[in-house]
Amino acid sequence: MNAHLNDGELRAALDGELDAARLQHLETCNDCQMRQRDLNAQSRKTLQKLSFLAPTPQDSAPSARNAWNRIADRLSTPKEIPMFKKLFASPLVRFAALALLLLVLIMSFSGTRALAEELLNLFRVQRVAVIPVDFTGLDQLTGGATGKQFSELISSSIEMTQKPGEPVAVADAAAASQKAGFNVRLPQNQTPSQIYVTGPAAFNVVVDRAKAQALLDEAGRSDLTLPASIDGARISASIPASVSIAYGKCPKPQEDKANGDSSQISGRLYPDCVILAEVPSPTVDAPADVNVQQLAQIALEFTGMTSEEAAAFSNTVDWTSTLVVPIPKNAATYEQVNVDGVTGTLIQRPADDAPQYALLWVKDGIIYAISGLGTNSPQAVDMANSLP
Amino acid sequence: MISLMKKPSINAAGDARAESNSAGFEALFMEHWAHVYRVLYRLVGDPAEAEDLALEAFLRLYRSYPLPPAPEKGFNVGGWLHRVATNLGLHSIRSFKRRERYETTAGKNAIAEAPETRPAEILAQEEERRLVRLTLARMDQRQAQLLVMRYSGMAYKDIAQELNLSPASIGPLLLRAEREFEKRYLEMETEGT
Repeated sequence: MNAHLNDGELRAALDGELDAARLQHLETCNDCQMRQRDLNAQSRKTLQKLSFLAPTPQDSAPSARNAWNRIADRLSTPKEIPMFKKLFASPLVRFAALALLLLVLIMSFSGTRALAEELLNLFRVQRVAVIPVDFTGLDQLTGGATGKQFSELISSSIEMTQKPGEPVAVADAAAASQKAGFNVRLPQNQTPSQIYVTGPAAFNVVVDRAKAQALLDEAGRSDLTLPASIDGARISASIPASVSIAYGKCPKPQEDKANGDSSQISGRLYPDCVILAEVPSPTVDAPADVNVQQLAQIALEFTGMTSEEAAAFSNTVDWTSTLVVPIPKNAATYEQVNVDGVTGTLIQRPADDAPQYALLWVKDGIIYAISGLGTNSPQAVDMANSLP
Repeated sequence: MISLMKKPSINAAGDARAESNSAGFEALFMEHWAHVYRVLYRLVGDPAEAEDLALEAFLRLYRSYPLPPAPEKGFNVGGWLHRVATNLGLHSIRSFKRRERYETTAGKNAIAEAPETRPAEILAQEEERRLVRLTLARMDQRQAQLLVMRYSGMAYKDIAQELNLSPASIGPLLLRAEREFEKRYLEMETEGT
């Protein structure tokens, strides 16, 4: 092969990684050698900066035996589950918890909308948008002493006005529709293994600005200042009854809660479990004088965005009708897909140990979510498209 | 040998298998521990963080492959651990971004407190490494991953295997990543980060 080497091949040659045939050309081609010299000069600058990444045997490492003892301890001790993960441990709980993400929406509601009344029905879901975020900030809030404060703040701020109760098993779609109060749709030609209905829930949140700001400070984000106007603001959320339909061998909701965040174990015990969840749009009311645009900026910046990125994202979303779903930055991917006659969002988490997927879409005021472990996301799309 | 038998298992047969396999896992751990730790230490620059992340990499190996993977099946344990360690390390230095201000302050304090014991060259080197880490943290994950895997010593074929790429594509991708790195590094220097 006599063609000149491209820059990539020249770069590989610098690392001694070029195949023999191409190397032979390089050794006899003055033009390629000259280009390689130029490239080498550039690459040396990078090499100089990054060379410290190469480990050497002189780097001392902690005792392997002690490290092994630590890992053995961790494998033999049930893992402490961060509160955030607990929220998402069960598919049922996870879906209910999704509704809590409406709080993010509340924080992000566009301030440009005319708010004429004292209380406005701010939000009703018509579509889903995904936002990749860095959960480190949240982890800081939910871990250790800060985690306790965070739990206390949440528990002291939220007043449940209607508790959903335990999920109740029903026989079929008709019974589920009757109990849930909306038309439950089941995929055709598939027999569910379980159908559960969870009752409606409602809660109020009263914002304690001082405590919330103290938590932000504790999490190392004292640069973010909550506005004084939110202090004492009462936000009300109402979540209608939801239905969860399981296919394959799935844990019962009670078992699922007990297992907590053991997705690896769940993956082995329930490898074919797929869950379809359906819930009419929750609604949220908030005082008109809350500067939610400002809060949106703070929430998004807390997730790791720069203020410019937060503003840019905020401008791309209609906050009055969009359910914003945060996903772990760099650990999950998402794409838009056509399902059930509308545009849905397919989220995939190709983790090394426990890949997961979730397909979300909204149709006729109902939010649908299909989730499963593994990588068989086409199955979710087929299932969505088979809904009557 | 430390038993891993308290790990949740499916049934008694699974327990027995786990018992016999834990020896294989321990052997893998002993073989790869120091290297995984060193890769992470170089990347994150903090011994305690590197140790925690290295343990996490092995935990993921254990959870992903409860049976010690056989080399003859084409599974490169070292390559797998190197890739997972790289991802964990990059995730960690991304979270360093939010501690950036603290680190900067701490660095200034260190200079102020012991100028005579820390030659200027060492301080300059530490500053450069800090900037390198911040630059990697700001880069596209895939490009940063490629740079770290290569500069921490992985061969092209191993990188290609771990990232599901052809070995021939590593050179061009590496070159592109290096150019992006230089561009962003320069931006950071200009910003005075």
